[in-house]
Amino acid sequence: MNQDPMPTPAELRAMAYADGELSDEETREFEREMIDDPQLAREVAQLKRLEVLSRQVAGPEPMDTEWKRLAEDPWQRAGHGLAWTALSIGVAGLAIAFVVAIAMVDTSPLVKALLLLVVGGFGLLLVLTIRGRLRTLPYDPYTKVQR
Amino acid sequence: MIVLTTPDVPGRSISEVLGLVKGNTVRGRHLGRDIAAGLKNLVGGEIDDYTKLLAESREQSIDRMVAEARTLGADAIVGVRITTSQIAVGAAEFLAYGTAVKLA
Repeated sequence: MNQDPMPTPAELRAMAYADGELSDEETREFEREMIDDPQLAREVAQLKRLEVLSRQVAGPEPMDTEWKRLAEDPWQRAGHGLAWTALSIGVAGLAIAFVVAIAMVDTSPLVKALLLLVVGGFGLLLVLTIRGRLRTLPYDPYTKVQR
Repeated sequence: MIVLTTPDVPGRSISEVLGLVKGNTVRGRHLGRDIAAGLKNLVGGEIDDYTKLLAESREQSIDRMVAEARTLGADAIVGVRITTSQIAVGAAEFLAYGTAVKLA
């Protein structure tokens, strides 16, 4: 027996929107609601994600199972964790060393300030870009597509 | 929505041609995946990080093309083609295009 609860009218409307079944006027109204309600937009993205995944009808290949086994191997996981930690610490350390080197270089204070502004501006842009990506990730229905 | 690469829909006749519809996207993987892909390139075999990148781009560009056809009230898109080009290292651009039509 199917134990899934019946979809609510709101969920049915979201499904109709995701499937492109609403009229032009209903679509515009729904899109206005999505702007005010991030949760609604997230639900539509989830429905879209399911629809995109349902198109991926090809089954797993033999190599997929071995990749999965390897990914679950404790030594492999520990090795990956160690490698990425070392890499992250190294990159962060180099960034700090670079800023210190700029501060200590024998040049005019104006040039030093400008160099630090360039580095600081780039760093800030990077942080803002990462923030934007993390914020929009739940609304991206294509992240689960494999091939 | 019927999406076909053929110039017509077998068994159905086209009553109206609504025009060109297209969808494009440029997607990238993050730096970590690019590093992993670069290492896999050294040893050969499938670079699944980039297989996934291309698949994501393909699906998104097709969806955007279909969405444009829906706004025109189309029943089908015929003559669909997909093109790709490199706009940046480690990023994939896909353009899907076709002709939106109404069926009789």
